[in-house]
Amino acid sequence: MSEESEESVPLLPLQQESMASALFNTDQNDNSERRRHDNSERRRNDNAESETNGQPQNNIQQVVEQDEEEDEELTLKYGAKHVIMLFVPVTLCMVVVVATIKSVSFYTRKDGQLIYTPFTEDTETVGQRALNSILNAAIMISVIIVMTILLVVLYKYRCYKVIHGWLIISSLLLLFFFSFIYLGEVFKTYNVAMDYITVALMIWNFGVVGMICIHWKGPLRLQQAYLIMISALMALVFIKYLPEWTAWLILAVISVYDLIAVLCPKGPLRMLVETAQERNETLFPALIYSSTMIWLVNMAEEDPEAQRKSKNSAFDKQAPASRTQNEDAEADDGGFSQEWQQQRDNRIGPIESTPESRAAVQALPSNSQTSEDPEERGVKLGLGDFIFYSVLVGKASATASGDWNTTLACFVAILISSLISPYVFVFCFFSYPQGLCLTLLLLAIFKKALPALPISITFGLVFYFATDNLVQPFMDQLAFHQFYI
Amino acid sequence: MNLERVSNEEKLQLCRKYYLGGFLALPFLWLVNVVWFFRAAFLAPPFGEQPRIKSYVLRSALGAALWGLGLGVWVGLFQSRRGQWGALGDALSFTQPMGEP
Repeated sequence: MSEESEESVPLLPLQQESMASALFNTDQNDNSERRRHDNSERRRNDNAESETNGQPQNNIQQVVEQDEEEDEELTLKYGAKHVIMLFVPVTLCMVVVVATIKSVSFYTRKDGQLIYTPFTEDTETVGQRALNSILNAAIMISVIIVMTILLVVLYKYRCYKVIHGWLIISSLLLLFFFSFIYLGEVFKTYNVAMDYITVALMIWNFGVVGMICIHWKGPLRLQQAYLIMISALMALVFIKYLPEWTAWLILAVISVYDLIAVLCPKGPLRMLVETAQERNETLFPALIYSSTMIWLVNMAEEDPEAQRKSKNSAFDKQAPASRTQNEDAEADDGGFSQEWQQQRDNRIGPIESTPESRAAVQALPSNSQTSEDPEERGVKLGLGDFIFYSVLVGKASATASGDWNTTLACFVAILISSLISPYVFVFCFFSYPQGLCLTLLLLAIFKKALPALPISITFGLVFYFATDNLVQPFMDQLAFHQFYI
Repeated sequence: MNLERVSNEEKLQLCRKYYLGGFLALPFLWLVNVVWFFRAAFLAPPFGEQPRIKSYVLRSALGAALWGLGLGVWVGLFQSRRGQWGALGDALSFTQPMGEP
């Protein structure tokens, strides 16, 4: 059978893997998943009767282990594919930010600071500057923590209207005000005359269509484009208004906080995710970038029936692993089926395989009869991650002595480390002055949110400082001495 | 959202809403309407609601084209005649270029 030949192929290099998974026929998928599921059932049964069977059980165990390895291989393939699906938007966001920083001087000019960072860095002594930046970072982080907790509390007490209003105001601000400023600065940079009428029309169109795409229904690509644009705008604001040392400190502390907030049992983000899961709801579709279609559900609507019947589906990682015997749909899980189900069962206990008990997500496994497009498996990324990655790279390009070298180094560091950190799925939150709230990304293997900021930001910071302080002077010296390598 | 997973009736309603929304000085919305529903309206095999969707798409395209034309004319006028308009030109200007005209 063709599917057997698929599974017996040894672990391919990454690019081939993603290609192979892209070419993966859905029927093969479904069948192989069913088979894996059967194997796991068998495994459980075997373990239950371990005393009785001797030899035959060992054989079965071996076969099952081999299947497990192949499962992991496929898991890796799909995980990698999804990571790559996120490379493009993150890269695009960074490109926009760097391009703007390089061309529009407005964003590198010091025009004051945000009220969240009241201490200036123009001090006489280095020690004073360090102290100020630490204080600034502390204030900013505490603001973020407070916002996060506020959001979790609001969510827990079902104040959906408040959250919704908060989100709408924030996106209004971003889409209209910040883009207005951005447009103005771009025109000034290129010395172009523009009249109010055209500008008003452009901003009005941009903003309204953006609101429609993000908060209501719109073409997926356009929605993704808008999310990238608002992330870039936000990152530019940060780059402009955060003084240098403060910015680096904030990046470092936020990655640590991300780690804590996501993984600790009492972490606010984790609680948010779990609450959402209990209630079977989606989380702020407005602030999550999805690499495939998302089904926009009003948070107030909890309609498992509608979920079941609706044809819109978001195939993302945590597509609920519904038991295959109850639905003819296969769990569209991006290849994580077996590991997930078992680990989830181990942690949470077996879950009723009713439609109602689906994990918080828009996902709806499709009928195995309908042709599933493998590309429809999606991955979600919080916008906060876009923003912080872009801030990192943007700051690097703005302030580094090495200029392009440093920028490139940071960029590469972020992407590669994203690849390395397992199944990078960014669980990130972001809170910003007007109270834009959490951006969450439910994630992956363990049906748990995983923070991806820490690793990537750490690598990015390390590379930035290393390149700026070590590599660039080295290159300068080489050029100075006319020694080319 | 993926149009393929949506029922035809919903497609029609969506197309219609986008069409109506464009009347609020939103030619971009009309443009999005045209591009998004182009396939459903013209390239898909005929289905019940297709003629209506087709009409909406065509009207949106017409509206977007008219707006585009109007905007192009206005921008052309403004860019070339701004200097001659004196005070009005300055009042209308959002950004003013520096240097010699």
